[in-house]
Amino acid sequence: MDAKPIAKVVDRAHGAIDPAEGIAAVSDPGFGGIDVFIGKVRDVNVGRVVTGITYDLFEPLVLNEIQRLAAEVEAAFGPRLKLYVAHARGRLGIGDVAVVVAAGSPHRDEAFRACRQLIEAVKHQCPIWKQEHYEDGDSAWSEGCSLCHADSTPAHGHDHEHGH
Amino acid sequence: MKQVTLQLFGAFSDLDERREITLEVSGATVADLRQALRELLPVRWPGFRAGLLDYSAFADQQRVLRDHDMLPEDGRVAILPPVSGG
Repeated sequence: MDAKPIAKVVDRAHGAIDPAEGIAAVSDPGFGGIDVFIGKVRDVNVGRVVTGITYDLFEPLVLNEIQRLAAEVEAAFGPRLKLYVAHARGRLGIGDVAVVVAAGSPHRDEAFRACRQLIEAVKHQCPIWKQEHYEDGDSAWSEGCSLCHADSTPAHGHDHEHGH
Repeated sequence: MKQVTLQLFGAFSDLDERREITLEVSGATVADLRQALRELLPVRWPGFRAGLLDYSAFADQQRVLRDHDMLPEDGRVAILPPVSGG
């Protein structure tokens, strides 16, 4: 592993996530491939018009889990790999950046696959919750993935369709 | 009896604006805490979807706890409903 993965939570009240920071963080003179996933707040979910999302996180555990999940990604696609994860906290509007995952490696295949595995793990296993706000003023916490049996395997104890 | 301070996240944060509740648990394991909540939720928050408890995990500050794990010494536990990050 070239460097400890970078994991951070960015409170919307204090700033926005900058994808360029993720690219810089995983850059290396020996790396020819960087893949970046940017997750943004979209304006509709399951047919309802969404006006914004509030993200709630259990920060110390989120940071711990990202390091643990990144170690699994490094075991699979490293050791020449740099990883970066930033997730937003607080109320976001449509088009705001909710999450950035970046992976850098000598070649594109490892970068693509590492980035994909890490964003899926973050979505399914990190203690992060989204509350959607709708145009009629209503709000609802999203259905999600249960962590009840998540030990070190992907948490697929949930009972909903994979629209997320 | 052990006193637990339960940090509330996601849908559970709607239960209390301080985002934590304290409760007495008759036992020392996470399973005992789950049982205490199973009894408490319908009484204290009858409008809450108590079934969410069955899909929720518990954690200390470092890791997710399993039902057979001992409750942490300091009594601080987080309840983690199904997650939906990204």
